[in-house]
Amino acid sequence: MITGTNIVKTFKQRGNVLDKREVPALRGVDFTIPKGGAISFIGESGCGKTTLGRIIAGLETYDDGEITIGGVDMSSLRHRAQQPHFRKVQLIHQDPYSALNPTRTIHQSLHDPLKLRARQTGRSRQWTYDRAEELLNLVGLDPGYVLPRYPHQLSGGMRQRVVIARALTVDPEVLIADEAVSMIDVSLRLGILSLLRDLRERLGVSLLYITHDVATARYIGDDGDMYVIYRGQVIERGPTETIIADPVHPYTQALLSAIPVLYGVEQPGAEQVKPVQAADAASHAEDGAHCLFSSRCPFADDRCVTEWPRLGHAHESLQDPGGRVHACFHPVQRQVAAAPIQRS
Amino acid sequence: MTLTTPMSPDGPPSVRIRDLTVVYRTAAGELPAVRDVSMDLAPGTVTGLVGESGSGKSTLALSLLNAVQPPGRISAGSVDIGGLGDVVQLRGDKLRQARGGQIGYVFQAAQNSLNPLKTVGKQLLDLGRSHDVKDLRALVAEARDLLARMGLDGARVLDSYQHELSGGMRQRVGIMLALVLNAHVVVLDEPTTALDMITQANILEIIREIHAERGLTTLVITHDIGVVAEVADEIAVMYGGRLVEQGPVRAVLGDPHHPYTRGLIQAIPRLTGDIDEAQALPGRPPTLTTIPDQGCVFRSRCALRMDVCDTVDPLFQSTGDRMVACHAVAPAATFTTTTSESEREMTPSRAWSGIGSGRREPAADGDGVVARETNEGDSA
Ligand SMILES: Nc1ncnc2c1ncn2[C@@H]1O[C@H](COP(=O)(O)OP(=O)(O)OP(=O)(O)O)[C@@H](O)[C@H]1O
Ligand SMILES: Nc1ncnc2c1ncn2[C@@H]1O[C@H](COP(=O)(O)OP(=O)(O)OP(=O)(O)O)[C@@H](O)[C@H]1O
Ligand code: SF4
Ligand code: SF4
Ligand SMILES: [Mg+2]
Ligand SMILES: [Mg+2]
Repeated sequence: MITGTNIVKTFKQRGNVLDKREVPALRGVDFTIPKGGAISFIGESGCGKTTLGRIIAGLETYDDGEITIGGVDMSSLRHRAQQPHFRKVQLIHQDPYSALNPTRTIHQSLHDPLKLRARQTGRSRQWTYDRAEELLNLVGLDPGYVLPRYPHQLSGGMRQRVVIARALTVDPEVLIADEAVSMIDVSLRLGILSLLRDLRERLGVSLLYITHDVATARYIGDDGDMYVIYRGQVIERGPTETIIADPVHPYTQALLSAIPVLYGVEQPGAEQVKPVQAADAASHAEDGAHCLFSSRCPFADDRCVTEWPRLGHAHESLQDPGGRVHACFHPVQRQVAAAPIQRS
Repeated sequence: MTLTTPMSPDGPPSVRIRDLTVVYRTAAGELPAVRDVSMDLAPGTVTGLVGESGSGKSTLALSLLNAVQPPGRISAGSVDIGGLGDVVQLRGDKLRQARGGQIGYVFQAAQNSLNPLKTVGKQLLDLGRSHDVKDLRALVAEARDLLARMGLDGARVLDSYQHELSGGMRQRVGIMLALVLNAHVVVLDEPTTALDMITQANILEIIREIHAERGLTTLVITHDIGVVAEVADEIAVMYGGRLVEQGPVRAVLGDPHHPYTRGLIQAIPRLTGDIDEAQALPGRPPTLTTIPDQGCVFRSRCALRMDVCDTVDPLFQSTGDRMVACHAVAPAATFTTTTSESEREMTPSRAWSGIGSGRREPAADGDGVVARETNEGDSA
C-alpha cells in the first residue's frame, strides 16, 4: 500500500527574471493506493496528474507532505535508502517509443534489469532468459518474434507491451500508467487496457491509472476510487462508478459533460454542465481565499469567491455512504454522463 | 456577433472524389496510401473521416488541395469541387489561389504549425498578400471577428507569438486562418487531438456553429469516433488506404455494417453500461508495406473472411442508407425502396448483423491479439 498525505509541490519557473512565476502544481493532495487495488487520477491538461505520478514513483521531489510505501515514511529516509522502496513502483509512460532505447534489441532492453535482479536475488544466468520469455508471454507477446527485434520493428501496441514487460522485471507492487494508451492505435488500445486489468488480477499488482479519458479509467478499475484533480487540488474523490453516475462537484460534471457522446449508440446525460468560460480565456485569478473553479463555475456565489472549499466537505443534501468526498460549497447531484440507448 | 461574410451565392459547394489513388515512393517501389477512393461530401454537411494512424486520412485530405508532397503523388482519379472543377488538374496560380482561398485547410498538429518567429497578425498579412487581398484592413477586421466568435481577444491574439498561446488557442488560430479568406470548403485535420475534453467540446461546438453560419462543406479528420459523433452528419471510415463504410453518423454508429467499423465501435470503452461489452479487435492495422495488394485490406482481422476476400477487392457500393465495401454485406439491389422494417430484417445485410455479434470470442483477448500480431508481423 502507498499513501500520500498533504503532498505539496510548487514549480519555480526560471527564465525571465522579471516574471519569476511560481506554479503550484499540487496543493495538499491525499491519496491511498490499496494493495492490489486500482485508482485513477483524472483532470485536464496541467492539473498536476503527471507530477503526482512522478512523485509517487520517486522521480520528482515534493515540497511538503508525507508519502509512505508499505508503511515506511519516505521522508524519514535518505535518498539511497528510499530507492528499494521506490523500485516497487514502476512508471509506464505515454510514449512507448521513447521509453525504449532505439539502438538496443528487446532482448538487450529486458536483460539489463533482469541481470541486476538475478544478482540481487542470487539467481542464475539461465533464470534471466527464462524470466524474459515468461514476462513476454505474460504480456501476450511471442518471445521468439519479439526478442531479436528493435523497437522500430514493432507496432505501437507491441512496444507498449514490451514497456510493460520491462516494468515487470523488477517485480513491482505498483504500476503507474500515465496516459499509457493515448498514443496507441484505437483498435489496439483495449488490448493494452485489458492486459493491465489482467496483471492486476494475476499478479496482484496495484494500478495507478492517469488519464483524461474517464471511460478507460473506468475500464481499468471500476472497483477502485477515482480522483478528480483541478489545478493541483483533488476536488472530488470516490468510487469510480459513483463519480461517473452521480458527480456532485461542478468541475467533475463539466468534465463528464464534455466527453463526446456516441450518438446512435448513446444518449447524453439528462443534465449538462458547461463552464462559463473556455479554459484558456479563464483569468486564473490569484490564489487565495476562493474556490479554484469559481471563475468558471456556473453556480458560484459570494461564498465561493471569499472562502476556499477544502476536500472533505460532507455532502449536505445526501447521505453518502459510499465514501465520496468533494470540495464544493454547493454540491448537487447531476446525472451528466452519457448512457447507452436501450434497445428493445 | 454577426459575421459580414455572406453565404456563397450558390450555396455550399459539393465535393466529388472519384477513384482517387495516391502513392508514395518507397524502397519497395510506389505504394498506395490511398487507393481507389470515391467519396461525396454533400453540400453543407460536415463529414467526419475516421481511421487509425497510417490509414491514409491526411493523404486523402491533402489531395483535396492537390497538395500531396513528394515522395507522394496523386496517380489516378479526380477531385471535383463545385465552382472550381477538378482540383487534381489545377496548376500554378490557379492552384495557389484555390488553396486557402476557396479551400480552407487546418493542418494536422496545427498547434505547432504556426511560424514561431512571426506574430499571428504578421502571418495573417502574409496570407492575405499571397492571395492578392487588396483590403488588408478588412482582412484583419474579419480575423478579429472570427477570433472573437471563438471566444478569444482578437487584438491580443494577433499580436501574439505562437509560444504565447495555449494549444486550444492555436487550434482556433488555425481555424481562423482557414476561414478568413472566405473558403467554402474547409478541411480540418485532427482539430482537437491533444486538447483536453472541455477545450475539445468547446472547439467542436465552434466548428459546428461556424459551419452552419457560413454555409460550408466541411471535412473533419480524426482517429476518435466520439469526435465524429459530436460534430459530423456523415461518417466515412478508412482502413489501409480504402474507404470501407460511409453513411449518416447515427445510422452507422448504431448499426455498423462493415466488420471493421463494427469492431472499432465495439472496442471503445464506455462511461456507463456493461464494462465487458467492450471487446478488443484482434490483429493490428497494416502499414504501407503490409497492405495486401489484392483482396480485402481488412481480411487478416476479419471474423467473416471468406475465400473470395483473399482475391477480390470488395466494391464500395450502396447498401441502402450507406456505402460499404465488404463481400459479406449485400448491396442495395437486394432492397426494394418500399421495404418495410420487418421485411428488411430478412435481407442478407440485416441478417448478417446477427451473425456478426455472436462470433468474436476467439482471439479477442490480450493474448489472441498478439498471436495474430506475430503471424502478420511485418518482416521488416
Ligand atoms: N519541470 C517543471 N517545471 C515547471 N513547471 C512544471 C514542470 N512540470 C510541470 N510543471 C507545471 O506543473 C503543472 C502540472 O503539470 P503536470 O504535467 O503534472 O500536469 P498533467 O495533469 O500531467 O497534464 P497533462 O494532462 O497535460 O499531461 C503544470 O502547470 C505544468 O506546467
Ligand atoms: N512522405 C511520406 N513518405 C512515405 N510514406 C508516407 C509519407 N507520408 C505518409 N506516408 C505513408 O502513407 C500512409 C498514410 O499516411 P497518412 O499520413 O495519410 O495517414 P493518417 O491516416 O493521416 O495517419 P495519422 O492518424 O497518423 O495522421 C502511411 O502508411 C504513411 O506511413
Ligand atoms: S464551491 Fe462554488 S464555485 Fe466552487 S465548484 Fe462549488 S459552487 Fe462552484
Ligand atoms: S470483404 Fe471479407 S474479409 Fe473484408 S471485411 Fe468483408 S467479409 Fe471481412
Ligand atoms: Mg501528464
Ligand atoms: Mg494524419
